[in-house]
Amino acid sequence: MFKMSEYSFLAAVLSIALALGCYVLAFVSSMVARRRTTFAAAGGGTVTMEEPASTGMGLGTYGTLITWLGFSFLTASLAFRTIALGHGPFANMYEFSVAFAWGTLGMYLYFERRYHQRVLGLIALPIALLMLLYAATITAGSTEPLVPALQNNLLLSVHVAVAIVAYGTFTIAFASAILYLIQGEKGRRGLPPRELLDEIGYKAVMVGFPFLTLTIVLGAVWADVAWGTYWSWDPKETASLVTWLIYGSYLHARVVRGWRGERAAWLLILGFVAVLFTYFGNYFFGGLHSYGGLN
Amino acid sequence: MTESVLDDLDGGLVVSPTDIGERLWHFFISMRTGLVLILGLAVLGFFGTMLMQAPDGLKSDPQAYATWLESLRPKYGGWTGILDTLGLFSIFSSVWFRGIMVLLMTSVLACSVNRAPHLWKLTVHPRTDMSEPFFGHAPLSMQAAGPVTPEVAAASVEAAFRRRHFRTIVHEEGDTIHIYADHFRWGPFGTVIAHLSLAVILIGALAGSALGFRDSQFAVAVGSTRDVGNGTGLSVEAKNFFDSYYTNGSPSDYSSELVVYKDGQQIGASTIRVNEPMRVGDVTFYQSYFGPAAAMKVVDGSGAVVVEQGVPLEWTSSDGTRVVGLIPLPDAGLNMYILGPKSGEVDPTIKPGQMQVEIYRMGSEKAAIATGIVTQGQPVEMAGMQVTFVRERQFTGLIAARDPGAVFIWLGSILLIGGISLVFFFPVRRAWALIRRGPDGSIVHVGAVVRHDVGFEAEFRRLATEIENALEGQSAVQGRVG
Repeated sequence: MFKMSEYSFLAAVLSIALALGCYVLAFVSSMVARRRTTFAAAGGGTVTMEEPASTGMGLGTYGTLITWLGFSFLTASLAFRTIALGHGPFANMYEFSVAFAWGTLGMYLYFERRYHQRVLGLIALPIALLMLLYAATITAGSTEPLVPALQNNLLLSVHVAVAIVAYGTFTIAFASAILYLIQGEKGRRGLPPRELLDEIGYKAVMVGFPFLTLTIVLGAVWADVAWGTYWSWDPKETASLVTWLIYGSYLHARVVRGWRGERAAWLLILGFVAVLFTYFGNYFFGGLHSYGGLN
Repeated sequence: MTESVLDDLDGGLVVSPTDIGERLWHFFISMRTGLVLILGLAVLGFFGTMLMQAPDGLKSDPQAYATWLESLRPKYGGWTGILDTLGLFSIFSSVWFRGIMVLLMTSVLACSVNRAPHLWKLTVHPRTDMSEPFFGHAPLSMQAAGPVTPEVAAASVEAAFRRRHFRTIVHEEGDTIHIYADHFRWGPFGTVIAHLSLAVILIGALAGSALGFRDSQFAVAVGSTRDVGNGTGLSVEAKNFFDSYYTNGSPSDYSSELVVYKDGQQIGASTIRVNEPMRVGDVTFYQSYFGPAAAMKVVDGSGAVVVEQGVPLEWTSSDGTRVVGLIPLPDAGLNMYILGPKSGEVDPTIKPGQMQVEIYRMGSEKAAIATGIVTQGQPVEMAGMQVTFVRERQFTGLIAARDPGAVFIWLGSILLIGGISLVFFFPVRRAWALIRRGPDGSIVHVGAVVRHDVGFEAEFRRLATEIENALEGQSAVQGRVG
């Protein structure tokens, strides 16, 4: 089963890399095509990442299909691992990273279906790919048995699974914020309109924020059961609270005029930095969450 | 202003009590205030993760705290004193953190109070009629006409809303029929619930720290009984301790068989392990850690047994090679330390089956008044007492805690998640329709205001088509969806 999981993992990495290649090519070629056509007519609108229909499907469509393929491989990899381990594959840094990538891909596909903005993939896919490559470097020692505190299958699986959804959506929010800022005010660079990016970012946080809240509350429940206190200002707890506060500010900020647009986008970027900080937190500062097979 | 000005000092800022109140109110209900405060908390939290934080309760022991502070000096250098003065080594109990917390809670409550009446009105007494210009400007709008009476057209519109589980309020005004429709109208109250839940959580945290206790170093040697203290009247006996290990040496499971007594009467017994605590009354016992213990017997000069118990060797000596336990002998004014080799260490003086005993006068721990090696089962005379090392045992490290605030924490958490979910997953949708007599029957306007609700936009288009079809079914239609 571990072998199956590893093969699926490898297939997923290759698929994602290929999908990213497709997206990049599609984007570049559409930029070139756009540049050519601007000589003829000053055009507006967004890039659809679709080649002219004459040659069949556009590269962008291939990209999405291959992303689906990669996502399926990764799902299979996690499933095989779950069967092999007998618990959710959420107990060490390798498994978190694969799950993070899985969440990112899943959320990307969800938002891609909903908003048809494959440009998001240009940011989301590299992040997923980096997570997978990072995971690949720490495969060793990743099947260590669980320390007693982690032997709570239900809470372990749900706590981390919920966190992964939150992280995935925040990656999408980050991607839309980056594109928003790259886009600039004039919106000439062939990216989706700013309002749409703003909207996608907000939507992503609307999904992610409740999930992050649930992650923290479930963590508190678990901490209360295992450690006798629902909150102990453990670095990872604190970092997740900071993340929560930043996204909370973002949600409030949008209500205030003047905090929309660019400032809101910066908050999303700050939020994602906090996500990464929370995520890699056990690296820097130990604490109660300092399992994860990195020692 | 008619009053005479005595000097220039009254010429500038004019302050009146109501004015101050108003300013304060506006300060607290300002979203900007809330935003700055939240970000302020985030910044403090960031410091809290990056800087070493003093362990719980360390501050109550100035000497231990000073030692701890010294250990930070190599890391923070000259900043150590400054950071300490600013309270940044215990950020979460610092005046900064608490101050911002209080301001933020005030702001949150003020906002909720400020917003609730408006929300209430919007929900319970919504505006049910909109004039025609509204439909021209609404972000979502449609217009259709059909050769039917306004009553029939209105019935189709109402039916279309009803099919989507909208509540409808119909209201006629002469020839014109107004329809108001809404869905999930209680959704916006999620924000009120979510914000108030934070206050509930805060109350829980305050109640917990004021009325509860948490002893995270509650070590009991197997075969011994120890008082819980903290006004509980409870004592805990560790009947047995089990530990098992993976092949790589890390513990796979450990558990303690405990009996709890209240005033000498057994009131509870259970085996606890990590993730499986035991609750007795309002006190909960958690499995936390474990280690070696020494069963000791001490007989004083008069032949009375002063001590017959297991001593948890729960500390580690400063050189890290020995484990240390303490038997206080308050009647004799002495502290008796028991030292053993740390597991895996070979000690040159303490052989297997031996313990080292050091006796100090309470309050002067510099020089031992007696020190010696005791071998298992062989009584040794020390400081006028007979000290016996009976046998090696284990101790189980427990956390004993009572938290009367916890119930508020969980209640607040449920409200928080419920409130947030209500806001984001059950967005309120409102629409208005106006139906009036037209040249060829009726003219129907439908409009809605949306914010970040892609789902509603699609839904509205389907609704528009449905209404058009309904009118069309009754005859020809000219419709427009915009």
